[in-house]
Amino acid sequence: MTQQITDSGSQVPDDPQKASLGRRIAARPQLVLIGVLVLLIGVTFLIQPTYLIRDGSFTFAGLRNSLLFAVPIGILAAGQTTLMLTGGIDLSIAMIATASAYVTANQSPQGAVVAIILGIVVGLLAGTANGVGVGVFRVNPLIMTLAMSGILLGLFTQWATTIFAGSTRMPDFVVTLGQGTLWDIIPYAAIVWAAVAAIIVLMLRRTGFGRNLYALGDNLIASRLAGIRSWQVLVAVYALSGVLGAIAGILMGGRIGAVDLQLAGFLLLPSVAAAVIGGTSIFGGVGTYTGTIIGALILGVLQSMLTFLNAGEAVQQVLYGSIVLGLSWVYAAMSRSQ
Amino acid sequence: MTTTAPPTNETTSTTPRMRRWVQRHGWTTGVWITLFILVVWYATLIPKFGSFQVANIINGGTSWVFLAAAQAVVVIAGGIDLGVGGMLVLTSAAGAQYMEGQPFGVIILIAIAIFLGAMILNGLVGWVISVSKVPDIVVTLGSLYIFQGLALMILPKVGGGSSGAFRWLFTGSETGISSNPWPAIVVITIPIAIVAWWVGRTRSGLSIYALGSDPNAAFLSGVDARRTKIVSYAVAGGLSAIAGFSSLAISGVGNATTVGGNLTLNSVAAIVLGGVALTGGIGSLIAAVPAAIILFFFNPILSALGVNPNYAQVIQGVLIVLVMMVAGLLEWRRRRLK
Repeated sequence: MTQQITDSGSQVPDDPQKASLGRRIAARPQLVLIGVLVLLIGVTFLIQPTYLIRDGSFTFAGLRNSLLFAVPIGILAAGQTTLMLTGGIDLSIAMIATASAYVTANQSPQGAVVAIILGIVVGLLAGTANGVGVGVFRVNPLIMTLAMSGILLGLFTQWATTIFAGSTRMPDFVVTLGQGTLWDIIPYAAIVWAAVAAIIVLMLRRTGFGRNLYALGDNLIASRLAGIRSWQVLVAVYALSGVLGAIAGILMGGRIGAVDLQLAGFLLLPSVAAAVIGGTSIFGGVGTYTGTIIGALILGVLQSMLTFLNAGEAVQQVLYGSIVLGLSWVYAAMSRSQ
Repeated sequence: MTTTAPPTNETTSTTPRMRRWVQRHGWTTGVWITLFILVVWYATLIPKFGSFQVANIINGGTSWVFLAAAQAVVVIAGGIDLGVGGMLVLTSAAGAQYMEGQPFGVIILIAIAIFLGAMILNGLVGWVISVSKVPDIVVTLGSLYIFQGLALMILPKVGGGSSGAFRWLFTGSETGISSNPWPAIVVITIPIAIVAWWVGRTRSGLSIYALGSDPNAAFLSGVDARRTKIVSYAVAGGLSAIAGFSSLAISGVGNATTVGGNLTLNSVAAIVLGGVALTGGIGSLIAAVPAAIILFFFNPILSALGVNPNYAQVIQGVLIVLVMMVAGLLEWRRRRLK
């Protein structure tokens, strides 16, 4: 907001050659993000050489771990990205993920397919409720999803000892999906993420629904005058976010093997951070999912690095916060010089 | 609402004034009345309602009030501070670490030092937002992590403490449990009155409203946007520090593993209930006080009703959404009447 004021002042580039290089980079900010990603991988390698090289030869083990960290963040951040494009946010997505995983684990005796479908239905219902609150009743998204998070936490804390008192173990199929790898290189979870990513990217770029998201976030009134039924779009996109939350939660549960109510809560802020680092504006209308994917990968590598540093929870949190802050600062500076 | 009655001829001189009063203070008054009704209702629900219950509500509500006031100042200025909860955890951890075993005079000096430190640290957050032009929500997401990490560095294990006199100051008893609400009432009233006076009556305070309602108009009328932003965050830091002291005085020990994010979310819910618009520029600090106490008060009321605490959380979430829907409806009707 303050940007408008200061930007009206003149910004004369002092050195033309430098400015043109800067402009060339600024035109493709995602290249810089990839640069940051490579840099972080390099730093992690320097801290702990076994990250990339074991017994004298190259190994995927370290990168695979980082990727596994990144998968749930990336899928949750898909929800955040699509919502942020409309000027919204989903603070309940981590709780939706936990709730869905809980239901899937509980229904595992009924077979993996039924269990997964039921888990996704939970996400769909919670997301739709969010969408009705935001889209139809115009409740502020922060408040709506915050309240939804509290509601789900209360319900599932209660139900965990009553109607969902049974199994907390994930179906074997989901465990394989969460832990297994294809040809010992590509985790199945990453394949799921790739599928989700392809759908989201295509949806945002190629479908009317995707373009509506950008339009709503850019100018709600103009898009309504242009004939977009904003409430329908909002209900749909919040429902989509709920489903994405469910997928992330089920994969997360599969990786751990069993569920509890603290399963995904710690992923909420990283999911927002991934979208923001990837260049999605929290005010709506600007952003891409490809940027978010790189953001999630950066956070995944960062998690590996912090684990190797063995610095303890305290230093990890300070570093994590500082890096998220630093990256978004750099990104903001670059997109302004564009 | 009485304002919607059409003005008759003999009341034309008083009705607009009344209408303006209701428009300005209606919500605040409503929140106070709601709190009053809740207290009376609560008194009839439990077998014995005395000073012990009053003290319990006010003492426990103190940190909620200060956190809500901190959030209100930042939100009125057009921002949002997700870091206030982290600041509460950080200041209470620092207090517990350095105050333990000190004489009362030294404890007060330490408290002042922590208070000033919190103002400077959060002011720095405001400076970063202003310089980097990264959205508030993103920067404070980073600061939330950083504060939480710093708290863990200062106080790695649950422990530390303050002194009896310090605990008396916030709870009316040296053990933290008392029937004396007066110290807490004084502790709430004086700082809130000072900040409310500053926000409502001074040049620098009013510029917060100006910045929050329209940054460009504020700039054109001579408001220093950067300074105002920094000041609003610094004040929020100081208020969060008092919240931290209160929670330290009640629990008696510091705990750096408290999840600051949840406390932040409570503060956001409280100010919204208190009529502060998340878009900035609208609302009052005074209304945030009863709103925060109401939110804290939900739990004893619902437990007096015999509601399972898990369902209490569900009901709280549903009520917040309902209040927001009603507020949205009133706002929509008011705009249509204009």
